[in-house]
Amino acid sequence: MNLNIDAKKKNSYDAIVVGSGMTGGMAAKELTERGLKVLMVERGREVKHVTDYETAMKEPWDLQHRGKVSTYAAEERWANKRFWGLVNEETDKFFTNDTENPYVEKRPFDWIRAYHTGGKSMHWGRQSYRWNKQDFEANLKDGNGVDWPIRYEDLEKWYTHVEKFVGISGQAEGLDVLPDGHFLPAMPMTMPELHFKKMLKEKLNRPVTIGRVANLTQPQKVHTELGRGTCQFRNKCPRGCPFGGYYSSISGSIPAAMRTKRLTILHDSIVSELIYDEKKGKATGIKVIDQKTMQMEEYFAKIIFLNAGSMNTAALMLHSKSNRFPTGFGNDSDQVGRNIMDHHLGVGAGARIEGFEEDYMFGQRPNALYIPRFRNWGSDKQSYLRGFGYQGGASRDDWNRGVQADGFGATFKEDLTKPGSWSIRIGGFGEVLPNPNNRMSLDADKKDKWGVPLIVFDAAFGENELTMRKDMMQSAVEMLDTAGFKDITSFDYPTHLGLGIHDMGTARMGRDAKTSVLNAFNQVHACKNVFVTDGAAMTSSSCVNPSITYMALTARAADFAVAELKKQNLK
Amino acid sequence: MHRRDAIKKVALLLGGAFSAPTLLAMNRWEQVALFDESNFTLTDLQRKIVAEIAELILPKTSTAGAKEAGVPAFIEMMLKDCYAKPEHLSFMEGIAALEQDKFLEMTATVQTERLKKVEAETKTLMKSGFKGVPFWRLMKELTLLGYFTSEVGVKSSFEYVQIPSKFELTKLKPNQKAYAY
Repeated sequence: MNLNIDAKKKNSYDAIVVGSGMTGGMAAKELTERGLKVLMVERGREVKHVTDYETAMKEPWDLQHRGKVSTYAAEERWANKRFWGLVNEETDKFFTNDTENPYVEKRPFDWIRAYHTGGKSMHWGRQSYRWNKQDFEANLKDGNGVDWPIRYEDLEKWYTHVEKFVGISGQAEGLDVLPDGHFLPAMPMTMPELHFKKMLKEKLNRPVTIGRVANLTQPQKVHTELGRGTCQFRNKCPRGCPFGGYYSSISGSIPAAMRTKRLTILHDSIVSELIYDEKKGKATGIKVIDQKTMQMEEYFAKIIFLNAGSMNTAALMLHSKSNRFPTGFGNDSDQVGRNIMDHHLGVGAGARIEGFEEDYMFGQRPNALYIPRFRNWGSDKQSYLRGFGYQGGASRDDWNRGVQADGFGATFKEDLTKPGSWSIRIGGFGEVLPNPNNRMSLDADKKDKWGVPLIVFDAAFGENELTMRKDMMQSAVEMLDTAGFKDITSFDYPTHLGLGIHDMGTARMGRDAKTSVLNAFNQVHACKNVFVTDGAAMTSSSCVNPSITYMALTARAADFAVAELKKQNLK
Repeated sequence: MHRRDAIKKVALLLGGAFSAPTLLAMNRWEQVALFDESNFTLTDLQRKIVAEIAELILPKTSTAGAKEAGVPAFIEMMLKDCYAKPEHLSFMEGIAALEQDKFLEMTATVQTERLKKVEAETKTLMKSGFKGVPFWRLMKELTLLGYFTSEVGVKSSFEYVQIPSKFELTKLKPNQKAYAY
């Protein structure tokens, strides 16, 4: 008996954080900085900042296939490779082997995963936009999903809090549709982009701004004291940045949490279940499988933060059954696993730009333009609900233009050493409505090699998204035409939910425990010592990139959790 | 299945009728080294043809040509590692046609004319909705990729900057080379 008590003591912490990605890192930082002893559990391998960025400093010729995906890598990473060739030798170590970690598609679902320290924060797009006031009211207004239990004002100071820590480069514009944040100096637009901005303002009264991006243009003390430095404009972020130029959990929140000496990280550790104590009416810990040895171990804490990534967080809840929660932990409402949202993308237009022959730029900008939502905004009214924004930019063509050009030989070769003409491309990011029939569940029979049930996806875009897509393409063409650009070609690639890598909504926040999973502080309605603060918590999706909002929600919930612990409300 | 039937079947799967070079190549097929997806390989003669074509696309001038940059071996490795059967077939089809016409025995001028013809045919072929990547396109994209990302290609063609450290707008100077990063 004493042995058991000792073991329990040894494995006991103030808080457990499941996952080390964008929100797990932030949860660990905020909790440890408030004095809590935290155990972070990461299912994948350990990646160390700088030393494990194996390809970061490689020359182009050091990469055997020079950026192309080999057929064997494509086979191993069959889901990841759907994201347009990102799984090449530069970055493939930071994407999960799908063959070892399969999932089931009742309807096609593009599930992009990153099982290692830092998760997807290793190679996120770094675009960071605050939600606007109406985003939080949209569900209530048009009757889709349930109402958010919070409003912009609840999150405002937490946006500022995380923006300061993360470091966001951007331009304040004073727009209601895209609230300004706390910005480091903005990156410049190229000359044709400035022309595009001017024309859109004059002719369509639409603003264009430079992307708000988590790259340090002017590091502050909060960054340099963690060893983070200025962006070097190599635009090789997804390889991992040895300069700490962009924000990830590995370069930012985890070192900040480690500095408190209150963080312990377990790697290669798959959380298979939450331990629920029926008498106490609370979750007391987690069951963990060592992915290498298959050993099972239990860990205990006063509070638990679930930050495993929206789909895995929901899967963990569904897999944690007890007498109190026979259909899965916190699933009284039957909403766990439902309402999968994402952003739909891969639709837009490109064009050739005449002129600007003498304009060029030095360095590679890891950033693009942003055109904020203009549909169903102000006096605009469409046949579909909600809206979309665009990302894209103009640059001079490189030697790749030779592949499609006619000719070969000495002159052809010489021409390709010069910058080509300018071209522009913009692609939309559209809001996805919450729909309870877009869901994931656990397979009744199929299990992975650790004995954990496989996730089954049964979700697809709906009529609203498909109608919006047509406008996303047409509006892109219209804007490029308005700016006087030539040879406009539109595109609409067939994609599925998931490919935006903004999968969210599977344990939504809400005002009513009957129709939602979490309350206004991300606590599970029926078990207040468990917090879900990754994308699963989202009640609607907006059309802007979500990470900064996930982080703001996480910091807010962590602050609340510690206050509640102090008040003894979570006993 | 007889090899020629197999090729016909693949061509049908690819959605296209036989191109002229395919018909010409038909008789050569039996002599083309047997290959499957995991075992793509070229004969010595085919390697020489690939090398000549790569060098005609990017010849040695005041800077190195494709051969010196190691492009021919790169093309074969890439075809093997990064492409599947449809591309293997179209590549073999193209190379077999040139092999049959004794490409290596032509003068440089005739070789150039011949490749111009292949390029023109390829354009027509791609416009007609050919699925997969035709021989000439494979040759061209792999030659350019192999050369302009090789050490000698990058350093002699561009102003190579490993760590720019800044992003700024500039004006092009006369004859300025492109930056590579």
